Amino acid sequence: MVAAKKTKKTHESINNRLALVMKSGKYTLGYKTVLKSLRSSKGKLIIIANNCPPLRKSEIEYYAMLCKVGVHHYNGNNVDLGTACGKYFRVCCLSIIEPGDSDIIKSMPGDH
Amino acid sequence: MVKFLKPNKAVIVLQGRYAGRKAVIVKSFDEGTRDRPYGHCLVAGIKKYPSKVIRKDSAKKTAKKSRVKCFVKLVNYQHLMPTRYTLDVDLKDAISVDALQTKDKRVAACKATKARLEERFKTGKNRWFFTKLRF
Repeated sequence: MVAAKKTKKTHESINNRLALVMKSGKYTLGYKTVLKSLRSSKGKLIIIANNCPPLRKSEIEYYAMLCKVGVHHYNGNNVDLGTACGKYFRVCCLSIIEPGDSDIIKSMPGDH
Repeated sequence: MVKFLKPNKAVIVLQGRYAGRKAVIVKSFDEGTRDRPYGHCLVAGIKKYPSKVIRKDSAKKTAKKSRVKCFVKLVNYQHLMPTRYTLDVDLKDAISVDALQTKDKRVAACKATKARLEERFKTGKNRWFFTKLRF
């Protein structure tokens, strides 16, 4: 029970931080632009939804490993991730380029 | 945040005639050029992998089996899969972008890379690069 409560609290804080990034920072949504941001080494944190196809997930993780960029596996599917970004469409993966006022990069990249 | 599409990186070509072949980046153009306004790079790759050499083979047979056929191409970054491997073979003086303009310059560049890659194969290093990718 304690573990469930802890994940709920950190889950909300990820959503809050993501909302702040959407408002004040730079980001790209979607698989193609995530790979582009990794190739040009502009991405600073990658967030992947939990129903991302496993081949695509491994590919993004491999690119992020080459780039030494953190990957966060979001606790929700692409519909939830789209809602967390404030969009009305599904988002399977997103890349944060400039965090703006948020501290998402400092507090998140430890976990996987 | 580390750039990884740098010269000497081993990559796998994903699209085109050479899909599934391994290649090494010789020169990368991150910003693109006027003709190709996208990130691309000059790669030298293996068109035909060397066969498996066994101890029983005679010297003539070993020489025949260790032949490597190469290609030189400008490829968009999107059509490459980078790997964690590198291949430090000095190909910069043999290959340049203007070697791709005419047929005989291209053949000369391929011959030069063929020589370098064959001698690298014979030393037994970078074995991953010279094995065919099974898919």
